[in-house]
Amino acid sequence: MAEPIVAGVAESDLGETPDRNWLDNAGIATVRALEDAGLALSDVDGVAVAGGDDYMPALVLSEYLDLEEPSLLEGTEIGGSSFEHFCGHVGDAMARGRADVVVIAYGSTSKTGPGRDRSLEVTHPVDGFLRPTGLFRPPGAYAMAAKRHMHEYGTTEEQLAEIAVSTREWASMNPKAAHQEEITVGDVLESRPVAEPFNLLDCCLVSDGGGAVVLVSAGKARELGVPEISVAGVASTSTHRQDISEMPDMTTTGAAVTGPKAFDEAGITPADVDVAQLYDSFTYTALVTLEELGFCENGEGGSFVEGGTTAPGGELPMNTQGGGLSYCHPGHFGVFVLIEAVRQLRGDYTGDRQVDGAEVAVAHGTGGVLSSSSTVVLRREA
Amino acid sequence: MTGAESGPVEDRRDSWEGPVPVPTGANSEFWAATLEGELVHQHCEECGTAQLYPRAVCTDCGAVDPPFEASSGVGEVYTYTVCHVPGEPGFGDRTPYVVAAVDLEEGPRLLALVDCDPDRVEIGMALEVTFWQVSDEAALPVFVPQ
Repeated sequence: MAEPIVAGVAESDLGETPDRNWLDNAGIATVRALEDAGLALSDVDGVAVAGGDDYMPALVLSEYLDLEEPSLLEGTEIGGSSFEHFCGHVGDAMARGRADVVVIAYGSTSKTGPGRDRSLEVTHPVDGFLRPTGLFRPPGAYAMAAKRHMHEYGTTEEQLAEIAVSTREWASMNPKAAHQEEITVGDVLESRPVAEPFNLLDCCLVSDGGGAVVLVSAGKARELGVPEISVAGVASTSTHRQDISEMPDMTTTGAAVTGPKAFDEAGITPADVDVAQLYDSFTYTALVTLEELGFCENGEGGSFVEGGTTAPGGELPMNTQGGGLSYCHPGHFGVFVLIEAVRQLRGDYTGDRQVDGAEVAVAHGTGGVLSSSSTVVLRREA
Repeated sequence: MTGAESGPVEDRRDSWEGPVPVPTGANSEFWAATLEGELVHQHCEECGTAQLYPRAVCTDCGAVDPPFEASSGVGEVYTYTVCHVPGEPGFGDRTPYVVAAVDLEEGPRLLALVDCDPDRVEIGMALEVTFWQVSDEAALPVFVPQ
């Protein structure tokens, strides 16, 4: 059996949590995910955490949870894809017997918290070239990539809007989703402009909240008797950091590298994927990821998503909890991508919300401004 | 540096309310040149790589402190966006405004404001540099249609 096994998943409360800080949300998600796995804090060998408002977040969270002699402390920060990236490191550590129970955790107060540094004296050597341009980041950076894609391939705003519409259809079945009322392509195009070509409904939410995923070794999984959802393939890469102009080709992403690697490791092809959870910070993020992971050809993402391909009942169910566009998006969405992939593979849902017989899921994280990519293939073992 | 002017410098120190770059390390020479109306980039003597933003190392061959040389200040729009929401303090009265990734003639790509009617900008449009002096230490490269 491939390791690690996902033994439990959970969110904290989502939306607005004005009485919580990032650690509270990460901590609450952690204990809920442990409960889902049939484990307790005393069983935890380590944490993998990104984001938060702290330097050294792995130490801060370990202290907050009062972990005893943790053997795995992972705090690699590569943005929203960090959580997919962690799956590889945790698997390596488990293969060497260094840990049996590791919690991937995230918490944020993106909505009600203090917000970003708005100081006018920019001493950061790279930000000094970015912030004075006034570019609204991250939306403007993704918008520039989308513009180039539209220029080279003829992708349209209507096609981008299709993703928002299909994703909202999924959200309409998720009681935890921030927005559940159905929308049309016209609604997206008529929502207020943010950074061309994006209107408001092309952009993810800004939420408070946290999420956690409990990874366990094969031995521990057998002991627990949990459904065996394995991490069958992982790959990560990056192309740049925050400066979108450093991206060599704005019509592609690192997913073109990580998709094939993760699929190879898992021994699958895109055709084997039953359900896709692809980071959707913006409609374009999901569109370009569909192309790069090989669900369609480069440049054909626009026509691929037309007609509800990724909606309930469509050929490729995608972002089945309503995604960052409609469910929640507390800064880093990567942990929620994993959570929903696992729930679909476990068959946690009923009715149209459940993708029937889902055995293979892909969870893809995108961090920074299309900067980092990390693909995870999850499989329900027979 | 050659001392050749790439574009005119307009003094906006009194009116600018946005973020201001503070020169440090390898980028100090870049910002100093902007005050003279000169857009510079690094051009590695060892391998010929042209790069921005400035770095203490050549990203191709690793040579330390690749020297600066003047750019013509001419480039074209690789891609752009029109910001309808201000992305930084001091930009509230400016919306909608154009930010582009500009491919300079010499190769490097630079993120910059484009001072033109948002309806006019398009990918591939030829641009030339001007400068807005926003502090005693730096003038921002701002492009206009050629």
